[in-house]
Amino acid sequence: MTVVVSDLKAPVLRRRLPLLVSLALREQRNGLKGFYVFIACVALGVAVITGVGALADALRASFERQGETLIGGDVALARPHRPAEGQERSWLWQQGRISETATMRAMARRTDGTDQALVELKGVDAAYPLVGAVSLLEGLSLTAAVREEAGVAVDPILLDRLGLKIGDSLSIGHLKLPIRASIGAEPDRISERLSVGPRVLVSLETLRRTGLIDPGSLVSWRYALKLGADGAPLADQLASFRNAMKEALPEAGFTLRDRRDPSPQLSRTLERLRQFLTLVGLAALLVGGVGVANAVATYLDRRRKVIAAFKSLGASKRIIFGVHLLQVIFIAGIGIVAGSLLGMLIPVALTSALGDALPIKADIALSARSLLTAAAYGLLVSLLFSLWPLGRAEAVPTAVLFRDEVAPGPVLPRWGVIVLTLAIGALLAAFAIFSSEARLLAFYSCLGVLLVFAVFTGLGAAISPVARGIRRPRRPELALAIGDLGAPGGLTRSVVISLGAGLSLLVTVALVDRSVVAELTEHLPESSPNYFILDLKRDESEAFQKLVRSEVGEARIEQAPMLRGRIMQVAGRPAEQVKAAPEAQWVLNGDRGLSYAEAVPAGSKLVAGQWWPADYAGEPLVSLEAEIAKGLGLKLGDTVTVNVLGRNVTARVANLREVKWESLSLNFVLVFSPNTLQGAPHNLLATVTLPKEASLATEAKLAQAIGRAFPASTAIRVKDALDAFGVIFARVMLAVRSAGSVTLIAGALVLAGALATAQRRRIQQAAILKALGATRRRILLSHLLEYVLLAVLTSFISFLIGTAAAWLAVTQAMELEFTFSLWAALQTMGLATLLVAAFGAFGTWRVLKAPTIPYLRAD
Amino acid sequence: MANNLISLSNVNLTLPSRAGPVAILRDVVLNIGTAEAVAIVGPSGSGKTSLLMIVAGLERATSGRVVVAGHDFARLDEDRLAAVRGANIGIVFQAFHLVPTMTALENVALPLEFAGRPDAFERAGEMLAEVGLAQRAQHFPAQLSGGEQQRVAIARALSPRPQIILADEPTGNLDGKTGAHVVDLLFELQRRRQSTLLLVTHDPGLARRCGRVIEMQDGCISGAELVSA
Repeated sequence: MTVVVSDLKAPVLRRRLPLLVSLALREQRNGLKGFYVFIACVALGVAVITGVGALADALRASFERQGETLIGGDVALARPHRPAEGQERSWLWQQGRISETATMRAMARRTDGTDQALVELKGVDAAYPLVGAVSLLEGLSLTAAVREEAGVAVDPILLDRLGLKIGDSLSIGHLKLPIRASIGAEPDRISERLSVGPRVLVSLETLRRTGLIDPGSLVSWRYALKLGADGAPLADQLASFRNAMKEALPEAGFTLRDRRDPSPQLSRTLERLRQFLTLVGLAALLVGGVGVANAVATYLDRRRKVIAAFKSLGASKRIIFGVHLLQVIFIAGIGIVAGSLLGMLIPVALTSALGDALPIKADIALSARSLLTAAAYGLLVSLLFSLWPLGRAEAVPTAVLFRDEVAPGPVLPRWGVIVLTLAIGALLAAFAIFSSEARLLAFYSCLGVLLVFAVFTGLGAAISPVARGIRRPRRPELALAIGDLGAPGGLTRSVVISLGAGLSLLVTVALVDRSVVAELTEHLPESSPNYFILDLKRDESEAFQKLVRSEVGEARIEQAPMLRGRIMQVAGRPAEQVKAAPEAQWVLNGDRGLSYAEAVPAGSKLVAGQWWPADYAGEPLVSLEAEIAKGLGLKLGDTVTVNVLGRNVTARVANLREVKWESLSLNFVLVFSPNTLQGAPHNLLATVTLPKEASLATEAKLAQAIGRAFPASTAIRVKDALDAFGVIFARVMLAVRSAGSVTLIAGALVLAGALATAQRRRIQQAAILKALGATRRRILLSHLLEYVLLAVLTSFISFLIGTAAAWLAVTQAMELEFTFSLWAALQTMGLATLLVAAFGAFGTWRVLKAPTIPYLRAD
Repeated sequence: MANNLISLSNVNLTLPSRAGPVAILRDVVLNIGTAEAVAIVGPSGSGKTSLLMIVAGLERATSGRVVVAGHDFARLDEDRLAAVRGANIGIVFQAFHLVPTMTALENVALPLEFAGRPDAFERAGEMLAEVGLAQRAQHFPAQLSGGEQQRVAIARALSPRPQIILADEPTGNLDGKTGAHVVDLLFELQRRRQSTLLLVTHDPGLARRCGRVIEMQDGCISGAELVSA
């Protein structure tokens, strides 16, 4: 081994260190040559995991820092349908400074009736906002824009959408209102529910005058409170308020949030995304582990004589193993530090690049948890892939000092090393599973990764003997290519494992994406209604049906009563104490749509219990969606208490239903017996399904007619909602694909490392071939053929595995129809072939450039 | 027999190969006493180096008994063999086999460190001075000439004050003049310390500097000669 003398120093201090550390430091004097791929592979995976954690931490820190502004106070209370009245109102107003707002979906129309748009309408009182400020782009104050005289401030998108400008008027409900300003920023927008339309701000008084609010309307009343400062710590103040509210207003049915977590839904979503992307980062780290294994094996291979010399001088196996293990940990540490630093820059880069697209301004923060998680993964993966070659190094025979070896024979590490490797693998899997909220997903992911590695390791091992067994082709280039595929110590195994894992993941992501997009753009629109109509008054039902049929005779109309309420108790236990399965937890967060029915709703199938008779008049009964019931631990006969319009209603579970949600027909998680809710003030929810051949113009004409005839109702065009969801989904998939691409980059690094390791042997081989008369063209062709054969084989197997994984994910986990896309799969496979060929061509160019003579001389 | 430091009884060494098992050593019987200097000569492939490796415990005999410095090698596992070797046997290789990332001083100290000696570096310094390289203590092997490297290797082999020195063609990679100096040093140290020396060589002149010359042919000891002083 050549040592660069000028780089070596010999400090004396190491004599005081333990022997293993002293020896490891001396061995490391050679620098990092041969370990750059190791460091890069570890750094890449750690950077992804750190970056994901850093972004989540940054957003969480922003929430906490800006919580007061985001929520508009110290606490925010919200409930549907009913404002705070009477005793509730006086109690709330006594707790501190308070602001009242009401938000609902509504239709905003051009005053000439030629166009309309779904908007998020918000009425605000004089105190709003308690914290922060609404900024209007024209420089007006909110009071001037909407409070002094009736008027609206709108999201600029709405002006574009309806072709309006400041000064024009907008029809909302029964009112025509002048547009006075456009909204720049709204401080507490993020803490409200997911919005489907542009914002329109009015005063509360104006909102009441539109006629849109009646006792059954789907309006959300919200109260932001600044508690009186009493010097107590914030946590104590908030806890005290919660307790006081439970005692004073036990059946008010408010959902309460405080400034420490302004949007629990967003927090939960971010956390899930963080965990999922961490798993993807771990997959990249595992692929990089192949590069780690190659680098360590190559390094130890070059040091066989030194290891043998150590043994001849009295070094035990423990010393051999320990010295090199310390080196591995040191090198891994460099990769971990580099990756952590890179990862910390990711939120900075994203904030600069995405800016306003992020929900809030992200602070720079990185928790110890995120840093330690990434470091732990980096170390465990490095150890997992290093232990085997380290174990084999212990077994280097001292005979190598006396005899030249043609090629070292295959040797298994001792049992202790094998057990340690398995233990590290188990620890890694356990860490991944138990640090994730969705443990089942994490478990299947670990299983999937193990399977993929097993398949590709097996494939890599199988290719070589198969290639050696093939009858030698006549064409020399092909014979050389196949010969290289089968040669011991060749590229085959490294390329197949590293590229195969990354490609399988990308094919899976591509096909899942394709299936979901097909569901949103092809399957769902075919079977789903054209419109959902909210807040249709009960006494308008007949007139509505008549109007729709007069416009489109073959239209199909469904109607159902709709209220909103919050689950307060599950089988007698308070909802906040229920440990629901992750897929059912959402039902307990905030208020839900409720309905009642005389018969089993269309699109539902009874799977347990009995439906009540149409004229049932006994104790309140409820029908639950079967999966939700299972997730909440509810069975037939248990009770559910729901707060509706400020009153707690307890009903017994009479039956369970299976619901085809993807049909988008009218369905609810909770459907009550009619006698339970019929007497409560409420409106109807309706769906309108037009014949397939109905044109866009017919659809638009119908919507305008409904808007004119029923100005208090809101029509949601399903295709627009699906498009909006599609945009969000595309962004999420972009994040997933980006993270998944890191796996491919890790594979490329491993490939580069394997090529570098094989370089000397390839140059030597090329020198011999040239001496025997081979042209450079022939050598180049043989190398390219080898790479292309490997790439095609690997990508074909990746395509099969990726397709199977996507089918499982789509049909079993998402319960959607699987849509295969040959184009999506071919794109990914083409990328692989290109990548391998490009690397291979570069490597071969270097081989052909190298001088021949030095490699033909005897040593 | 009672004073034999090295005792090989009917030792056979057979190694596997693609063409079938190959007998490297056949029924070797060899006894060497304390402070003896013995040369092993013979053509290439006669088993000289393999015999050295058996005595060093670097290769296990297929059959027969190997007792070195009172230790029956058949009863020792690899780690205990390494410990015995570190304490009792010093090996000088043809290719030096110095650790390239360690200085001359560190190379010499290495066997003492493996043996757990707290004064490893002090003794290493003394040893380097004995071979005349005290001023090169902080130099790395790549900074030393061939002769200097072999002197460091000799210092390393002798630093644990072993009873037995094994030398495999110690001048094979050196020019004539340098080789002569190295050999003089080796014999001087062997004599001074009363160590047993087992030397493999192609050089008849070098062989005759030992007290006994053993000839090997086809894995067997074909002859032995006492050399008059």
